[in-house]
Amino acid sequence: MVNRAKIKELMNESACSHNKDKKKGEGCDKPKPGLAAGGCAFDGAQISLFPYADAIHLVHGPQTCLGASWETRETLTSYEGRDHTVMGFTTGITTNDVIFGGDKRLADSIDYIMQNYKPEAVFVYSTCVTALVGDDIDMTCKLASEKHGIPVVPVHAPGFVGGKNLGSRLAGEAVLENLIGTKEPEFTTPYDINLIGDYNVTGDMWQYLPIFEKIGIRVLSSLSGDGRVGDIRCAHRAKLNVIVCAKSLITLCRKMQENYGIPWVSVSFYGKRDTTFAIMEIVKALGDEALIKKAKEVIAQEEAKLEEALQEYKALFAGKKAVLNTGGNKAWSIASGLQDLGIEVVATSIRKSTEDDIAKAREYLGENGLLMKAPASEQAKAIDERGAHILLAGGRSLYTAIKKKISFIDVNQEKKVSYGGYGGLLNLAEDLKHAFNNPVFANVSKKAPWEAE
Amino acid sequence: MMEAQKNIELSRHEHKPLQVNPIKHSQPMGAALAFMGIRNCLPLMHASQGCASYTKVFFTRHFNEPIAMYNTSVSDITAVLDGGDYSVLMSIENITQKNSSMKPELIGLHTTGLTETKGDDVRSIGTHVEIPYCYVNTPDFEGGMESGWALTAKALIQQHTVAVEDVKPNKLLLLPHVSIQPAEIEKVKECCESFGFHTLALPDLSTSLDGCLSDGQGKLGTGAIGIEDIRELASCSTVITLGSSMKIAAEALLKKNPNITHLHFDHLMGLSMNDNFVASLMKIRQIDPTPLLKRWRGRLQDAMLDSHFLIGSSTFVITGEPDMCAGICETLQSAGGTVNAVIATVYSPVLKTIKAKNVFVGDLEDAQEYFKDADLVIGNFHAERILHSQKKHTGLILRGFPNYEELGNQLKNDQLYEGSTYFLFEVANKLREVKHYT
Repeated sequence: MVNRAKIKELMNESACSHNKDKKKGEGCDKPKPGLAAGGCAFDGAQISLFPYADAIHLVHGPQTCLGASWETRETLTSYEGRDHTVMGFTTGITTNDVIFGGDKRLADSIDYIMQNYKPEAVFVYSTCVTALVGDDIDMTCKLASEKHGIPVVPVHAPGFVGGKNLGSRLAGEAVLENLIGTKEPEFTTPYDINLIGDYNVTGDMWQYLPIFEKIGIRVLSSLSGDGRVGDIRCAHRAKLNVIVCAKSLITLCRKMQENYGIPWVSVSFYGKRDTTFAIMEIVKALGDEALIKKAKEVIAQEEAKLEEALQEYKALFAGKKAVLNTGGNKAWSIASGLQDLGIEVVATSIRKSTEDDIAKAREYLGENGLLMKAPASEQAKAIDERGAHILLAGGRSLYTAIKKKISFIDVNQEKKVSYGGYGGLLNLAEDLKHAFNNPVFANVSKKAPWEAE
Repeated sequence: MMEAQKNIELSRHEHKPLQVNPIKHSQPMGAALAFMGIRNCLPLMHASQGCASYTKVFFTRHFNEPIAMYNTSVSDITAVLDGGDYSVLMSIENITQKNSSMKPELIGLHTTGLTETKGDDVRSIGTHVEIPYCYVNTPDFEGGMESGWALTAKALIQQHTVAVEDVKPNKLLLLPHVSIQPAEIEKVKECCESFGFHTLALPDLSTSLDGCLSDGQGKLGTGAIGIEDIRELASCSTVITLGSSMKIAAEALLKKNPNITHLHFDHLMGLSMNDNFVASLMKIRQIDPTPLLKRWRGRLQDAMLDSHFLIGSSTFVITGEPDMCAGICETLQSAGGTVNAVIATVYSPVLKTIKAKNVFVGDLEDAQEYFKDADLVIGNFHAERILHSQKKHTGLILRGFPNYEELGNQLKNDQLYEGSTYFLFEVANKLREVKHYT
């Protein structure tokens, strides 16, 4: 079961920069009635673990939780067996289960799954209703695990305990308690790392994994992009945890450092500078001179190749200015990517950013860059005052761009191609080129015949 | 699964403990959508924040539109200690304070599994709300999207329509089922108006999620019916239910005024159902249809003949909400199509009237076994991946929620003579593509 102590611990994560300046007991913000817009804890937990294609993810709850959320994220996998990430499994509880308890339905469902699909593991997600009525999910999972001889992992992140971020942390706890350290790898190398918090959305990881391979860095396990349950069980033997962008799994990294002595680095693979920086952070942390030398060589090759490919774009983008309105670390990571393409980022949003993110945004945008605390109301003014040519934001801001007669790119999670790594920068450049060249934004903003000039 | 097709019987009860690749959507989602179809309504989901977030993303992607939706963000503490008063009232205060220009004319509050389990008295909360308030109980462990939508229409009538005895002779109310898209309800309204009816629809998405670029989208519902109209619905002379799910809303209206005439149609697709519909309107108004409507009937007849070679030699599987399935199935059968299976999201009495070989409530795991022999599947976008993985080349026409693959869902029209004509051509063209391929 999830309990207050655990939630308090996760909400007050000492390693999280959000909490550095807060007084004791303040911790992460609680959702405000009426104003919470993002996903819930269950959403966060599901996002964090769903990419395990060899496991089945069984949602123990009523219909909304999974019915609206399966097959919505492009978390790609190279798994050769049946890909469970594009499937949905839910107990879809009914009134009877609410009254009499849903444990039997859950046990029967796991039996059904084992009979028909034979996964490597089953993750069972509790949800608001099944947590509230008090289904004994831990015991049901334990018995099922013994019966079927595979890990059946309870994930206690019912939606009402908090936001997405907390859910990811709770998912990390479930993995730490139930999987990590339960199996030994076939072999280890001094260059084994765990990738934490990259979900391989649109194949982001595949942009940089070939570079790792060239350098000689081995990914022992991943949580959870293109991951395997069998691998994460061996994660305790890695030499380094690499936490990619998402800070939500920071607690897991801290605890792995405490339990297994594995250090961690936090990196991002957006844009050229960050990718290079990330690779160097990793090899430096692994601390092997030969590896560092090799990394420098590979980076030099990749950067040269990229620079050549970017020439055409840089000429096109000379003098272009952008306003960026997106959340968290994307506020600076996408900014860095845009700058690598020769675009001036005149304003970025810091509405959902941590102190570290804000500092980084300031560093990247320079003294004159505008950091918007309330981008919804500030962005239109920023476009006018700074003479921006493009707005990169979520879909809701499209109208702002149309009204200002400038180009627009939607940078939410539903993107179809990867912007990660060196290769992703070319994808971003291509999308920007099309956006700048497209006359649709100007054409759409024309006045109607019946409107006064 | 490799074994032969299972024969699953139509039943109110589930045939297995879980759902694998579900097609069922929840009651709260239907309620939220219904409230978006009311002018200046603030749809408020009484739930933890994820319920609303999932629903919002779901509709955003289906309609490609900003979605007006808010939630009470029930937390673990309020789940136990609050009877709903705090979170609902605080939400309304927070939302209206943050958007000072926002002037909601109705608060559309609906519950979810969580708030039904904890047992909030959402009815009594309304006495503390100054803005007109409508509550609906929509636990997501009962019913589905179709029933959530219908329950909301019923609640709006029950709680807001003022009882009267007189009727206005040509005032008509349409009660459309949930799968009728924004452009479709607009067309049906137009058709009724061409007979001289002053026509309203409840809910009315025709001006809400119809994909019309305008500023300030996504803050409040922008449906074509307002709370003032809803108050006066009892003066309608006629109420027409489209879809068996909507009968409960009509019954609520008849209680407000027993002098209203109720006409029911299970759907508005295909020649014979539309003949019934048009005949009923003609009878009330004692006038002929417009020349254009007559022309569309001729076009539909022609389309049936043109398409019957392809449709008549093909087998179909349909998945989706019961009322939608009923219409599609009958239309295909009217041109000779063989419908091997209809797999519905939830149980509904209308399923008993569907004359396909197999009719049952299930998920895509069940449907997959029937896909293997079908020439064409009609269902939501989740079917696509499954069809890609099978050997036989089976076509797919996307209908129902959600459709993340195609743009312009809100403007698709399958209703009336006109929509049915386009539908048959789409089916036939897809079949030609599929059959050429093999």
